[in-house]
Amino acid sequence: MEATLDDTAMAATATAAIERWLRAETRASSARITRCERLSGGAIQDNWALDAHIEGGAWHGEHAWVLRADARSKVAASLTRAQEFAVLRVAHASGVIAPKPLFLCRDSSVLARDFFILERLPGIAAGHRLTREPALVPDPDALVHALGANLARLHAVRPPRAELDALLPPPANPALAAVAGYRSCLDRLDDAYPALEFGLRWCERHAPATFDVALIHRDYRTGNYLVDAGRTSGVLDWEFAGWGDPREDLGWFTARCWRFGGVDREAGGIAPLEPFLRGYESVAGHRPSRADLDYWQVMAHLRWAVIALQQAQRHRSGGERSLELALTGRIVDELEYEALRLISAVDA
Amino acid sequence: MTDISDAADLIATAREALLSELLPALPKERRYLGLMIANAMAIAEREHRLGSDTERTEAARLRNVLSAGGSLVASSATAASCPDLTALRRTIAAAIRAGHFDDRASECRLVAELLRTAADRVAISNPKALHP
Repeated sequence: MEATLDDTAMAATATAAIERWLRAETRASSARITRCERLSGGAIQDNWALDAHIEGGAWHGEHAWVLRADARSKVAASLTRAQEFAVLRVAHASGVIAPKPLFLCRDSSVLARDFFILERLPGIAAGHRLTREPALVPDPDALVHALGANLARLHAVRPPRAELDALLPPPANPALAAVAGYRSCLDRLDDAYPALEFGLRWCERHAPATFDVALIHRDYRTGNYLVDAGRTSGVLDWEFAGWGDPREDLGWFTARCWRFGGVDREAGGIAPLEPFLRGYESVAGHRPSRADLDYWQVMAHLRWAVIALQQAQRHRSGGERSLELALTGRIVDELEYEALRLISAVDA
Repeated sequence: MTDISDAADLIATAREALLSELLPALPKERRYLGLMIANAMAIAEREHRLGSDTERTEAARLRNVLSAGGSLVASSATAASCPDLTALRRTIAAAIRAGHFDDRASECRLVAELLRTAADRVAISNPKALHP
């Protein structure tokens, strides 16, 4: 019988297969999985909390890990597990606060799909809680300062990097590449979206002529980092990472659509912009201009709208009926509204 | 006011029952689903009340934009050749992408009309997201 992960519990055959593989990876005399539970969140990836008891070898002892596997529905533009593992290794080695990647499995006889193991970090990621419960973030300025500095450490990774040669090559012009990519997504849908087309045309006409290219995360925002005792313990969800304009991450982090319960706090709904930019500048040596942020915030809303339309399509096409996907489609209205408001304010 | 409930009143009343009586009885891990259902019902109720007016107004705005729009647009597609909203949206979208609204006057008119329509739609999808 093929080893599989079902919806709630890991099948005994899968557990046994992982144990055999772990024993070989860790060069242990035995490896036992003492707990394996699916983690909530992650509409795209399949994450499991994995507790392991290893005997013998360098990994002897108890471990709290996460197993991250490909999920059934694949989203365009997301990395394979092997690519994500490579990105996470480079980021971690560059001092980015992120879970440490440990073992990659590409042997399909183990789980029938690729997966990797990474350390499990403590903390809360939920954006609606972090932006509404002051007890979770006693010093918001310090948190966003650290998140800014952390992002700048990632952006210090520049191409070429041999370990990352499986990524798409750096785009000739990141902003124009984004516009072209989102247009081709829109062209695969049934309806037309004048507001999004307007936003994309605006981004095309105002694309920055000069830019750096760096390793960017592409989903660096509240909801995707863990906060433990008021400090960030790690940035999650690296599946969209790639070479791009670092300002894309800065616009995404500060865009209104990722502020949850703190719409007036520009740094991720947590704190004002200034401490975030100061943290970024403390490592990068420079900070984005207001015009840079405005531009990439417009792009952030357009990108999220395109992704939301794709998710709505998964539901509408009948392939994956889901209330959550259906409701995600309805946030496109808000995203269009915010993009148009931003453009109007900038152009005024 | 009608004697018996219309669709909007049925949805609103069912939603009230869900929130006041079912939600408190749901186990914690089902609460999020209960809230999503309540949200979907609220959107459906607002769309039932406002949806057809919103679409009519959007179509009128898009026709205005097309007829006032750049000469390039007027020559390629007239308002009369776009009978329904879906076709209007498609025509405008293509014209925007082709750069037919790039001049400042057309752009200003277009963004103002698109923003009004977006606000109308947010008033249905999530009125809390509207801001001054």
